[in-house]
Amino acid sequence: MSRKYELVYVVSPDATDNQVADLHTQVEAIIQRLGGQLEKTDNWGRRKLAYDIGRHKEGTYVLEVINGGGELMKEIDRRLKVTDLVIRHLTVRVDEEQGVVDRTRARRTEISRRRRTARGLTPDRQPGEGQRGEPDDDRDDRFEMGGEEHR
Amino acid sequence: MNGRKSFGGGGGRGKSSTTQDKGKDGQRRPMFRRRKVCKFCSDKIDDINYKDIKLLMPFVPERAKVLPRRISGTCALHQRKLRTAIMRARQLALIPYTTE
Repeated sequence: MSRKYELVYVVSPDATDNQVADLHTQVEAIIQRLGGQLEKTDNWGRRKLAYDIGRHKEGTYVLEVINGGGELMKEIDRRLKVTDLVIRHLTVRVDEEQGVVDRTRARRTEISRRRRTARGLTPDRQPGEGQRGEPDDDRDDRFEMGGEEHR
Repeated sequence: MNGRKSFGGGGGRGKSSTTQDKGKDGQRRPMFRRRKVCKFCSDKIDDINYKDIKLLMPFVPERAKVLPRRISGTCALHQRKLRTAIMRARQLALIPYTTE
């Protein structure tokens, strides 16, 4: 049974591009060895950290989407923990969450289609059709918060 | 706080428009307050992802705390998802824990 995980790791800013690539191949090797698949990989490049980690203020972020089992993730986790070059990493299981999102989305479009056909319209919304509320309705009071309580 | 809050119970969902304030300085407060709506419900954002910092940042005010529901108007379900997303983003130093 395969699960889907997302792995993000932050590589120290001292690392060269080669070292980052090297790390990626290492991760890939573990995935291969333990029978997983690398679905997608994405290098976000160098970003400023929101807070200092150790003495670092920046880091290179790499995202990998992996299909595989828990044992595989455990191994990757262990390896990243001992790698000094990686200053932070996070694994998140995403398949269940994704399933829920897809189902709600499907249900929503289905309901909207049903309602639209009941009203004698085409099932899908045509471009330029329908105005949602007053134009400025949802814009202004979302983020000008705090006003009420702390004045 | 001196009991000036005009919001009712129920998790402080933000009463709809006409909240008449009975406090001593009621005059200064506006009579009408628009009903707050959950941003994620109204925009139909199903997936609150820790990688989407642009989406999360409005809910992390200056002190880097999570913006409470009574102020943002987010519904319970989405606030919960928002919270996990923010906590994950914090681990990766995408969002600060605090500011000095």
